[in-house]
Amino acid sequence: MESRIMKHSVRLTINGEPYELLVEPYCSLLDMLRDQLHLTGTKKGCDEGDCGACTVVLQGKAVTSCMVLALDARDREVVTVEGLARGDRLHPIQDAFVRYGGVQCGYCTPGLIMAALGLLLENPHPTEEDVRFGIGGNLCRCTGYAKVVQAILKAAEAMPAAAS
Amino acid sequence: MAEEKVLGRNFPRVDAADKVSGRSQYAGDVYLTGMLMCKILKSTRSHARILSIDTSKAERLPGVRAVITGQDIPDVHFGSGAVKDRRVFALEKVRYVGEPLAAVAAVDEMTALEALDLIHVEYEDLPAVADPIEALKPAAPLVHEDLPRYEGYAAGMGGNVCTILDSARGDVDKAFAQADHVFEDTFRSQGINQGYLEPMACVANIDPSGRISVWTSTQGPYQVRAALAAVLRMPMARIRIIPMELGGGFGAKLRLCLEPYPVFLSLKTGRPVKLIATREEVFTLSGFRLPTIIYLKTGVMQDGTIVAREAISIFDMGAYLGAGVQSGVSHTIGPYNIPNHRVRSYAVYTNKIWAGSYRASGVADVTFAVESHTDIIARKLGLDAWEFRMQNALKEGDMAIQGGRIPRNGLRQTLEAVKERMGWPRKSAAGHGVGLALCQWRSGSGPSTASISIQEDGTVSLLTGSVDITGTDTVLAQIAAEALGVDMDQVVIARRDTDLAPFTGPSGGSRITYSQGKAVQMAAEDAKRKLIALAAEHLQVLPAALACAGGRVYVADNTERGYALGQVARLSLTSKAGPILGTASLSAMPFAPVFNTQAVEVKVDQDTGMVRIVRFVQAQDVGVAINPMAVEGQIEGGAVQGIGRALSEEVVIRDGRILNPSLTTYLMPLAPEIPAIENVLVEVPTEEGPFGARAVAEPPGFGPPAAIANAIEDAVGVRIKELPLSADKILRALHGEPLPEVELELALLRELRGAGGPIQWAGSG
Repeated sequence: MESRIMKHSVRLTINGEPYELLVEPYCSLLDMLRDQLHLTGTKKGCDEGDCGACTVVLQGKAVTSCMVLALDARDREVVTVEGLARGDRLHPIQDAFVRYGGVQCGYCTPGLIMAALGLLLENPHPTEEDVRFGIGGNLCRCTGYAKVVQAILKAAEAMPAAAS
Repeated sequence: MAEEKVLGRNFPRVDAADKVSGRSQYAGDVYLTGMLMCKILKSTRSHARILSIDTSKAERLPGVRAVITGQDIPDVHFGSGAVKDRRVFALEKVRYVGEPLAAVAAVDEMTALEALDLIHVEYEDLPAVADPIEALKPAAPLVHEDLPRYEGYAAGMGGNVCTILDSARGDVDKAFAQADHVFEDTFRSQGINQGYLEPMACVANIDPSGRISVWTSTQGPYQVRAALAAVLRMPMARIRIIPMELGGGFGAKLRLCLEPYPVFLSLKTGRPVKLIATREEVFTLSGFRLPTIIYLKTGVMQDGTIVAREAISIFDMGAYLGAGVQSGVSHTIGPYNIPNHRVRSYAVYTNKIWAGSYRASGVADVTFAVESHTDIIARKLGLDAWEFRMQNALKEGDMAIQGGRIPRNGLRQTLEAVKERMGWPRKSAAGHGVGLALCQWRSGSGPSTASISIQEDGTVSLLTGSVDITGTDTVLAQIAAEALGVDMDQVVIARRDTDLAPFTGPSGGSRITYSQGKAVQMAAEDAKRKLIALAAEHLQVLPAALACAGGRVYVADNTERGYALGQVARLSLTSKAGPILGTASLSAMPFAPVFNTQAVEVKVDQDTGMVRIVRFVQAQDVGVAINPMAVEGQIEGGAVQGIGRALSEEVVIRDGRILNPSLTTYLMPLAPEIPAIENVLVEVPTEEGPFGARAVAEPPGFGPPAAIANAIEDAVGVRIKELPLSADKILRALHGEPLPEVELELALLRELRGAGGPIQWAGSG
């Protein structure tokens, strides 16, 4: 079934791997990750940039991928939640979320983890207030944020200064 | 008795590693070959006859595979509660903006959306009723003219009233006449959306054998199966519901949601069909809490004893019966011992989306009213708010509102704990204030089943049909491990669907730990009895001589003689009784109340009216904390939901139209606005719960609105009786401007007051 909309090619790196894909001009980075690559760890909560569930790290900064056009990510480096673990070794942020009760329904979790990564890349030793503001763009309805904040503070302690 | 080594430990959630890796599969993550995408055409009118629906242009759009309306499916009424007042598509008329009229299956979402624009609907507008008070008046337009013909209709309903519930005890009129003081207040609460992060999603497919499989975001797979079977007019055994990982539901996903649309389209096209709701559709396609009006009248003696309570609650139910009306009888007394009462609760139809369930629907609204009213009374009588509550609070042995006696509980301990932790009474800094709220709930009951098999290597397989929303899989595994005396990592809880596991009630109403957990404990004990019986045979001792702990069954006073569980399991394969299988089934658990006390310190900015939460302290009687970290997670989350209800959340509906169906304008709390939550877990074990546990998850959301309203009055001397406690209301009150009238019209009140009648206790919701 031929699409009536012309697709454009986009080359980018996702979790360290190079990709070349064809996307409609209106396709968001989020939809490209989920629908074409089946990297479904990144979630769609609102598609309007309000909830943060779609957060990925783009060129070292946390962004809401529903608000980034796939074409605007050309030649860029994207890290998603699937790119954090090393084999079966969880990243310190992931490990802390597990260990300290930062996960309940889990739908906001990938976005929160990527927002935390973005925060810790810029500020490796945040205060509790820094963490709360750092995840201020991520909605969570289950946890009340209490154990999420604790988990991120613990993760910061566990991570080397040059966080990866 | 084996030493407890699994109970009380903070095991991480068994599903957490998958969730943090992005591996967990939610319904929207299901992709099947040849899958079509579904979109729903929604009514643009709040009340109108449907003259015609022309789908011909939409059907001809390239990429569209099917378009259906109510004409294409069996005409079946179903309902979320006692009355079967709804259908999958609107037929003769639409009753709310958003009501489904048609559904499209197309090769992609864009094409499906284009097709919706090509469907032409002819409406004939009817007078609509948006306000529940207006809907109660004799001349109001009728939302359901056929109400008396619906299955489940009961006498007493009429006009736009779909439910009336009553409860009465003693002689209220005499008690008011004899009381030293009588107080009356009316409170209003707002429309609240459940706010789950995962919008509704489902995928339907027909197997080659003709069975229907549905992967869906649901709290109640068996309930969905039954409802689908009814609307499809098909046997339940032809339908398999696979509950996927659930990204929050809080009641919105307890029952049939959007599953019928992809199912009917899959039947018509022979292909898998997927439907994912947008965030806007989370407001327009799925019911949420609608406003309530609660009138309270209380008689008090000079010494502070409450002697009488009258209440009238009006629940805006929207266009179809939803949830919450019973809280107007179950909770308007509050957690207090009041010997005379007469309370009545109305569910009223209006032309809006129906009032969906949300974490003990209605109780938060009623608690706002009761706990604000309690403080108002204490203040007017010059009594300390904490002492007044302690004096009147329910005790073990008092009569419970639903009949029976209050069993042992930790209510007083929660009051004491909060007093100590927050410090009460307090002299606060300028602009600061502290407020209290005391709330109650019950531990959920309902049909629950479990089965446990011991594998040949000694690992334990637990099969139980409940959907894990609050971490219950982890808690259920802990219960099984504790009962069988094995380590936590020896227990595996199976991934299940409605084919695999026997019937269980939905995950809601705080019932899984208490009821399902009890079934798991009983099944584990059944397995243990069988292990011991078989081992006893082989060891040639009496069963009473054996212990089961540390993964072994052994002679209690000669521990060397025994078997590993796996050995017994292998022996069982050739035994007379066959492989070890422990099972349990129950339908009801005894009443086990849950009490939570909250104290909030706020700072009110007198220039802007904005409220900042400085400290939040809560104490809850959890019975026994099987997993303290999980319990805290639940009560922290619940408390923050309550804070949102108190300060910032409101679904604004004008003439039946939702003005803010978006997270930009529906404001749920974010991390920078919330302080650390201080929790005290009080443990007064239940008689019958698994290892003494109580329900946990719902009470913390009830208290914050009243606690914060009480703190605001303490801080700056203004009383707000309408939610949310927004900056503009506080500012206007500070400037002495009159607030919108919330009092019920006197004439209406006289009409609504009636003699008490028999109690009708509706199902949970």
